[in-house]
Amino acid sequence: MNFKKYLIAFAASAVLVSCNSDDDNGTKVENQAFDNGTFVLNEGNSNVSSASVTFIGDNSTVQQDIYNTVNPGKPGLGSYLQSIFFTDDLTFIISGSANKVTVVNRHTFEFVANVDTNFSSPRYGAVVNGKAYITNYADYNTGDDDFLTVINLTDFTTSKIQLNNWSEKITEENGKLYIFNGYYGSGTSVTVFNPANNTVEKVIELNDSPNSFDEEDGILYVLGDSKLSKINLSNNTIAGTVTLPEALLYSKNLTIEDDKIYFTNDTSVYTMGVNATTLPVTPLFSYVSTSAYGGMYGFNVEDDKIYVAEGGDFASNSQVFTFSLTGSLLGAYNVGVGPNGFYFN
Amino acid sequence: MTLKKLFLPLLLLLCQTLLAQQDAVVQLKEVIITDTQLHNFSGTQSVQQLNDSVINKNAASLTSLLNYNSVIYFKENGLGMVSSPSFRGTTAQQTAVIWNGININSQLNGQTDFNTVTTRDFNSVTVRAGGGSVIYGSSAIGGSIHLDNRVAFGQRFTNELRVNYGSFNTQGYHYSTNIASDKFSASVSVTRNSSDNDYDYANGGTNLNGQYYNTSLNAVVAYKVDEKNRLTFYSYLFDGERHFSLIFPSEVKTKYRDSNTRNMLEWAGLYGKFTSKFKAAFLQEQYKYYQNIESPGFTYGRVESLIAKYDLLFKAGEKFKINTVFDFMQNKGFGSDIINKTRHIGGASILATHNLTDRFMYEAGLRKEVTSNYESPLLYSAGIKYKATGFYTLKLNTSKNFRIPTFNDLYWMDGGNADLMPETSWQAELGNAFTFGNLNFTLTGYYIKLNDMLRWVPTGSVWRPMNTDKVTTSGAELLVAYKKAFGRHNFEVNGTYGYTDSKDETTNKQLIYVPHHKATGGVSYGFNKFSAYAQLLYNGEVFTRSDNDSRYNIESYTTANAGVAYNFGKTNTYTLGAQVLNFANKDYVSVDSRPLPGRNYNMYLTIKF
Repeated sequence: MNFKKYLIAFAASAVLVSCNSDDDNGTKVENQAFDNGTFVLNEGNSNVSSASVTFIGDNSTVQQDIYNTVNPGKPGLGSYLQSIFFTDDLTFIISGSANKVTVVNRHTFEFVANVDTNFSSPRYGAVVNGKAYITNYADYNTGDDDFLTVINLTDFTTSKIQLNNWSEKITEENGKLYIFNGYYGSGTSVTVFNPANNTVEKVIELNDSPNSFDEEDGILYVLGDSKLSKINLSNNTIAGTVTLPEALLYSKNLTIEDDKIYFTNDTSVYTMGVNATTLPVTPLFSYVSTSAYGGMYGFNVEDDKIYVAEGGDFASNSQVFTFSLTGSLLGAYNVGVGPNGFYFN
Repeated sequence: MTLKKLFLPLLLLLCQTLLAQQDAVVQLKEVIITDTQLHNFSGTQSVQQLNDSVINKNAASLTSLLNYNSVIYFKENGLGMVSSPSFRGTTAQQTAVIWNGININSQLNGQTDFNTVTTRDFNSVTVRAGGGSVIYGSSAIGGSIHLDNRVAFGQRFTNELRVNYGSFNTQGYHYSTNIASDKFSASVSVTRNSSDNDYDYANGGTNLNGQYYNTSLNAVVAYKVDEKNRLTFYSYLFDGERHFSLIFPSEVKTKYRDSNTRNMLEWAGLYGKFTSKFKAAFLQEQYKYYQNIESPGFTYGRVESLIAKYDLLFKAGEKFKINTVFDFMQNKGFGSDIINKTRHIGGASILATHNLTDRFMYEAGLRKEVTSNYESPLLYSAGIKYKATGFYTLKLNTSKNFRIPTFNDLYWMDGGNADLMPETSWQAELGNAFTFGNLNFTLTGYYIKLNDMLRWVPTGSVWRPMNTDKVTTSGAELLVAYKKAFGRHNFEVNGTYGYTDSKDETTNKQLIYVPHHKATGGVSYGFNKFSAYAQLLYNGEVFTRSDNDSRYNIESYTTANAGVAYNFGKTNTYTLGAQVLNFANKDYVSVDSRPLPGRNYNMYLTIKF
């Protein structure tokens, strides 16, 4: 994140916050209320009130459904909440079924904007130079109609850029967007997209369907169904691969913390050094899920804590757990329906 | 397409107008309803009949009629959208809808969407509370709703035309004719309903993509071959398209088409003490779901059902009746998401009723079905009725009932489970009926124990139906009716109240979308050619979460409608009416995030000729 980007993001949010100040009606929430803790995204089901965001403070206090608590009367979040992404001052919450993105203040969770044009099953987002880029599936059966929605963060107007390739997760590195083309086994590449001129610079073929990634020291580590691929960001070529053993095929949720790779397989968590050439045989730990469908529905590692989300029955509130880096259980927290991700503030 | 559909009723209208010039001799001789069991074998249960006069006061959907006039609770996804009943705390699949004696619940999802039935097509709608599987088969657990057409012989020629128009461009056209002689009788009705259904929400926003239309044709043609033999043909066609309303304007717009045809031929033979009826019916139901109205693609399901029924009634005087029914049903299912299958079910029932004394009667029934798909339980029903005093009658009934797995449950491509058993229920009720002059009221307490309830649960990577839950329901119902005439003033009051406690035995939590309390009330007043009425609906708070987390409850609400009507013309052949619906402009939802309309208006004109 360079200084220029920071400025633009700051300017954008300043404008928006000032535009929106008229709407404040006395229910002022303490400033910076959500600065120290973790947002848990509860995707919910077809019932709109089941979708929510839970906040777990660093002091372990839990606040449920913070969006509706802070913003009564504002447009709802939608349901089937897919993911969250941030600028320094804004939080973007994507609803797959409502085809919209709700923008709130990152620190107070106060409503900023409801963006609902040019979406069709939106999935993930990233921010470059004052614009947010969000991937869309459109028709789930084909990648040929997938596209990016671009939100101009000064006025929240949107436009569309056709990608015509399976488009799922997305991240910004060095001013470029890396779009992961994997979708439940379809799509086997990473697209390098230059937002400065809206062109696809390169399609890096992995011969494997990517499901998760993280960046460390100029290397993009991409976990696919059958291997770990390392992309050198200086030239966008594959610097190396590690094949997954039979027992670890279809591993997911790769994330890197302190030069260690963490990933999951079923309800087990594995870890290895970033430069390891073989995969671990035994898990760091496993947990017992009561939900055969929603075990390990969300996963992340931050500040020496491992976060695990239990999807539950997708009809009632569920739980998330924190574990130490050695795999001992630290805490269990009640959250909303179908928790699917952790986002750190 | 639409033009063609509209043309038919228009054509009918033209012919009838010409014929109407002749003198119409209205002389009712003999009225026949084919669902004879409803009359003969329902003596120990609570039966509430709603006739034309009530049907005409309510909006055209079966949801509106029953919501405001019975204890049945409805969960409606916005006005005109998918509507599921809960009768005595049961699920929508545990209420049977019976069309002229034939169960018409969907073979695909096991329920009837009460917004896809137009009440104007029927002479009466009857609510029969409690178990009825012995007579009506699957789903008659909470109760059954009977849509009946009357056949009347005797010189007669009548026509009725009704036009209504109201808020949100809601239009209704209904035409019916009845032509009869001593040997022949035909009743035909055509109904068309449509609405833009774009009502505003109280807190801003509009009901988007909620428009619907439907057209139905109902015909009954009867012919007396001779003194002993009679042929009757029943036909009911329904074709409707509904868009599913959006919660967020940016959602993908979807729509749903229903197309159902129901035809039945009955040969009735009256041979002294025996009445024999042979019925052959062909039913076809089809839905098409458009996941995105911008694109032509859709998913669909269709079931063709062939039903043969032989029904023999033996009457030993008026005191003793015994009825045997043998039936056979073949269902052929097709669809984009189900495995194409054919299912055969054979069944036999025996029913008996005996008036032992003037005060005491009892009835009993047994039914067994046989099919290769699952083991079917022996169903039974038994009850007594005792008229203790002139004003008090006691009723007692117990029964075993079931709900069979549907085509979707058994054959859904992604998750269907061919090893399902039917849901079974054991239930009992105690009814107390009181009559004090013009005041009637009944108080009924009931208990239902349901086993092997079917529910779709996550198993491995897919959701599959399983016989998982056990539910215990107990409750009480109160029905009140009062009628009084003072000279030319007519006064009528009706009310219902239901208390329902319906719990999952494992969690001991109330089922979602089952209110503890529901009440309705109606008052009507008539003076000469003028009439006025008001009706009220109270729905108690409902849970929307299986863990009964009260944060997500849907609040209780009360809504009320009122209307006036005036008959004019020399022989009272024109009726002009106006209604205000939800006149208190209550902001409420029946399903989470699905607001129902605020105050809205409707006007109608009925012409009888």
